[in-house]
Amino acid sequence: MTPFRELDPLLHSQLRLAIISILISVDSADFSYLREKTEATAGNLSVQIGKLKDAGYISVSKSFGESYPQTMCRITDLGRQKFAEYVAALGDYLKPGSEGLKV
Amino acid sequence: MENEEKLMTGEESLEVITRMINKTRVSVTQTSFHLLFWGWLIFACSLSEFLLWRYTDWTNAWYVWFFVIPGVFVSLIYGFTKGKKEQVFTYGTRIYVWTWMAFLFSSVVFFIVHPLEEGNASKYILLLAAMPLFISGAVLRFRPLIWGGVSFWILALAAHFGGPVVSGLAMPVAMIIGYLVPGYLLRKRGSHDAVQGA
Repeated sequence: MTPFRELDPLLHSQLRLAIISILISVDSADFSYLREKTEATAGNLSVQIGKLKDAGYISVSKSFGESYPQTMCRITDLGRQKFAEYVAALGDYLKPGSEGLKV
Repeated sequence: MENEEKLMTGEESLEVITRMINKTRVSVTQTSFHLLFWGWLIFACSLSEFLLWRYTDWTNAWYVWFFVIPGVFVSLIYGFTKGKKEQVFTYGTRIYVWTWMAFLFSSVVFFIVHPLEEGNASKYILLLAAMPLFISGAVLRFRPLIWGGVSFWILALAAHFGGPVVSGLAMPVAMIIGYLVPGYLLRKRGSHDAVQGA
């Protein structure tokens, strides 16, 4: 495995990166949509959403639909910025001849 | 998805990002309901007005358009209640919804400055309605809506140059081409009342 450098450890995780990648593409998405797209378990997804929320990368709002609660997630400006930085770092790493990056 | 703390290579990270972004698509549910509801309502109103004008002595045939007012409320309530259940809002969805809301606001202003009793306004309404239809087709990548928008522009010209009979029939014809045909095509897709684009 190629070593990494300067990658945001919060984003350099498969599920959290998947969540952010979805939220960067849409205006907002609810928990069940994220669960369907990431194919993660509810518990695991909930924990990772909590970590991203605590870091300020996403905002979470809860509402009550007709008969069930709905959790809507939306990426924040900070999350957008961190994702851009992550992709830029990834781009550096993927350039031919680069030394490689570390988390 | 696998363990969230699994260490990824650069290629794997890129693959996750690409795969997730590819999974998100413009998704506008409710589309066929609104197309069919408004298609039939405006078709009935416009054809009734034409027939009353053509075959009766009644001078207030435009009264039939009052049926549009409860139609607006039905559409808004349906859209609001269904919208609350949406799992995801894409940027395309937002463009779609607000383009139609802009059409609604423009129509309200239009009917204030151009009361219906002043004569057949179909060419102006077709001009206004062509835009959201055309934009919706482009956002959703659904060609029947794009062609519906184009047909509205052509029918607006026909309504202007074709005389009172053509002008009176332009609206019901437009509803068939621009609303009802795409609406039934969407329903026929069997995609649970949803259409998806890129």
